[in-house]
Amino acid sequence: MSDFLKRLFSGNSAEDKSSLGKVPDDPFSERLDDNVKQLEELFLYPTNDTLKVRALNIPSINRSAKVLFIAGAADTDMINDHIIRPLLASQPAEEGNEPSVDGIKDNILTVSGSETIADFREAVRRLINGNTVILIDGEKTAIAADTAGFETRSVAEPTREIVIKGPNHAFVEAVDVNKSLIRRQLKDHRLVSETVSVGNESPQNVSVLYLDNIADKALVRNVKDRLEKVDKDAILTLAALEELIEERPYSLFPSTMTTERPDRASSFLLEGHVVLLMDNSPDALIAPITFWSLFHTAEDQFLRWAYGNFARIMRLIALFIALLVPAAYLAVITFHPEMIPTDLLLAIAGTRERVPFPSLLELLLLEITFEILREAGVRVPTPLGTTIGIVGALILGQAAVQANLVSPLLVVVIAITGLSNFALPEVGLSVMVRILRFGFLIAAHLLGFVGIALAFAALLAYAASIKSFGVPFFSPLSPHFPSSRDLFMRPVLRKQQLRPQSMSPQEDQRAEPEGGGGS
Amino acid sequence: MTRIGWKLGILLAVLFLAGCGERLELEQQAFVVAIGLDKGEKGNLIKVTFQISNPQVNTSQAAESQTEPPADIVTITAPDLLAAKELAQSSLSRKITFSHLETIIIGEELAKDELFNNVIGSAIIDPEMRREAMMIISKEPAQDFIHANKPTMETRPHKYYAFMEGNWEHTGYVPLSNLNTFYQRTDDELFLAAYASAQSEPEEHEDDDTYLAGEVPQASGDPVQMIGSAILQRGRMVGTLNGEETRFSLLLRRKNLIESMTASFPDPTKEEYRLSVVFSRTENSKIRIDTDRSPAKIDVTVPLKMRINSNLSLQDFTQNKDQQKKLVKSVEERLEKKSDELIEKLQEEYKGEPFVWYAAARKNFWTMKQFEDYGWDRQFAEADVDINFVIEIESFGEQIRPPTLEKDEG
Repeated sequence: MSDFLKRLFSGNSAEDKSSLGKVPDDPFSERLDDNVKQLEELFLYPTNDTLKVRALNIPSINRSAKVLFIAGAADTDMINDHIIRPLLASQPAEEGNEPSVDGIKDNILTVSGSETIADFREAVRRLINGNTVILIDGEKTAIAADTAGFETRSVAEPTREIVIKGPNHAFVEAVDVNKSLIRRQLKDHRLVSETVSVGNESPQNVSVLYLDNIADKALVRNVKDRLEKVDKDAILTLAALEELIEERPYSLFPSTMTTERPDRASSFLLEGHVVLLMDNSPDALIAPITFWSLFHTAEDQFLRWAYGNFARIMRLIALFIALLVPAAYLAVITFHPEMIPTDLLLAIAGTRERVPFPSLLELLLLEITFEILREAGVRVPTPLGTTIGIVGALILGQAAVQANLVSPLLVVVIAITGLSNFALPEVGLSVMVRILRFGFLIAAHLLGFVGIALAFAALLAYAASIKSFGVPFFSPLSPHFPSSRDLFMRPVLRKQQLRPQSMSPQEDQRAEPEGGGGS
Repeated sequence: MTRIGWKLGILLAVLFLAGCGERLELEQQAFVVAIGLDKGEKGNLIKVTFQISNPQVNTSQAAESQTEPPADIVTITAPDLLAAKELAQSSLSRKITFSHLETIIIGEELAKDELFNNVIGSAIIDPEMRREAMMIISKEPAQDFIHANKPTMETRPHKYYAFMEGNWEHTGYVPLSNLNTFYQRTDDELFLAAYASAQSEPEEHEDDDTYLAGEVPQASGDPVQMIGSAILQRGRMVGTLNGEETRFSLLLRRKNLIESMTASFPDPTKEEYRLSVVFSRTENSKIRIDTDRSPAKIDVTVPLKMRINSNLSLQDFTQNKDQQKKLVKSVEERLEKKSDELIEKLQEEYKGEPFVWYAAARKNFWTMKQFEDYGWDRQFAEADVDINFVIEIESFGEQIRPPTLEKDEG
């Protein structure tokens, strides 16, 4: 396994394999046509029709110029309104008083975020990111104007982390929109957004967000180091990045999590976590995480104290049901029949009389059917989706009972287990529980309740031993750190003053001193 | 590394596969819900009757098999219970298990025999045996009792026994008699076991609770009656107490076990009518035992709450303080007289007590040895016992006053 990991992480980073690295680092020449020709070659013109060139004459300097952009990456309306029209409308200047390239950039173009560039590599980088490059005849520098206009969808409602009460914004695929969603929640000038580039062949920018006054400096450095160590040709989404920066890719326990809710990301930022955003990923990656991050939902804090805690108690029960009930059922009916009331025992024994399989096989049969149904339910096209689902599972279960394949009580057991599994809020936790359930089943099959107890002890020992970016998985409960005890239950908001010290935040208290201390 | 891996693997396999032998599917087991023990015809043999629940009757719709009986009854003659369990396997296809055995019925004949102590003592060796299993002594052989018992309401036998055994809490007709308490009291002190019978010999009594199982005037229904108790001393049955005496022996204990019980008394104001009341006890009885003097002195104060249930004389107790006092006094006196009679009977015939008073007496000694030397049961037989009932009227029933029939016309 370690060999595989080594191969996974080694690569030959010394050699610069980046596609941009292959672009010649040559400066522009003074001849406009040469420059354009070179760029056209780089973009494989005319085979590749992606590079658009618009020739024009700039009256103010009375020279010809060319406006280059990539179709699909740049916003053509913006180029028309803010680049071409001002350039054409500029008044001819007096002799000897013609504006320089900087002058054109600052005083004629009406687009913000323009820079002058001097070499081809930079020009290509700007172009593929949606910028417009203006080449002027006789100039060794060009203007790159920010006209990025990638298609994006509008901010929609969350689909995975749904709340009844609370904000209903979800991240979208555009990183700028996502940042604005976070900034809207967190109006703090110390919210830092650093950019780290990952991927060699087609680099993507990853934004590292953290609160400078709260987040542990060592943690931020740790996250950035890991991002820099990533060595892949292309990383398209945060989900792929997640696997590359986490400590234990083979472990069932996640060490990062994603959220699609800006409010959730902001509340993690306020506790000193680091949030990663990436273009094309409609979610935010949070590091480090603890068990509590997986167990809590955004709504726990939106609902009133009693309601939120009630939901948490139910979720805790659901967690245990989803993890242990099939195993407990198996243990009871094969090892410890004295534990259940005689009526129930006789009912199970009666229905099992005509079932041809041993209990373990019977359980696995139904459990696997349920898992397949769940998988099918996720993949099925929406118009068909209504026909599948838990109802389908139950009907199938009913038919299986009538065919004497499984006993009816088992359908109840599997149904309640599946239902409880759906109550778990985080996809990582949910899948982990689904897999662990099979482990517990085997343990129960081998040793009954003793097996379950042993497996649970081993699970707890492992979970208590692992760390995510240096933060123990069950902290601040174990190992104990001072915190506001927002663990299984949450205290009222007024008492949630202390940030979990397991995160080593720079400021312990949440409350700002009277009169807004600032930095 | 690989060598250690092998050893580790074998170790883990031994650890994890060790449990496989214990695994048994439910449908491969026969769940015994009641056993009956009787004296065999020959030597030290006993007859063991297993009542095995049929999971295909009245359990779940999917399993229903209407033509089968709800339980299979098998009687095996063997030297002891565990041998019988093994021997029964010769005719039963499924493995017999006692894990849901909660009722043990013992024929009176065996209970009175020397053999009984050994039989029941060795039964506990089986780890499947439940210590909370209830022990019932039946007047006739347990085999006949089990065969005769066909309750209409509870088709499944375990349900019948569970309900019947729960009844004592509300009536006090039978004591709480599980195996656990039996094993605690196998010496000179008396252990009371529930007494039951399926043979009816009806008698009619003035008092409503002085019957012994079988004597209750009952016309139809299930023939089994459970009232009164069998007295066991040194692991052998030595006599019986009727329903009333059983109730007193429960009332005189320090801790209350009965939730409530109904009893009837002659109305002190109009002797020809009887008054039915419900007693309940919320406080513990006060037991003071003076072991320094000889004979020992035992003072027991039993606090009781009384609710008037039916009032045949139609006397208005509600508004008349004098009548209330008279009623309380008469009930207290009657209870005290009855309990004095019971204690006299116990002192003379059995020289032991079933009230767990020994626990109170034991407190007067520093060491267990001193207490044992004192010989509590011998001392009890001679002791002066003074019993006091303190009765408080809790309510006069749902309708506070009896109807006044005479005044209707006016």
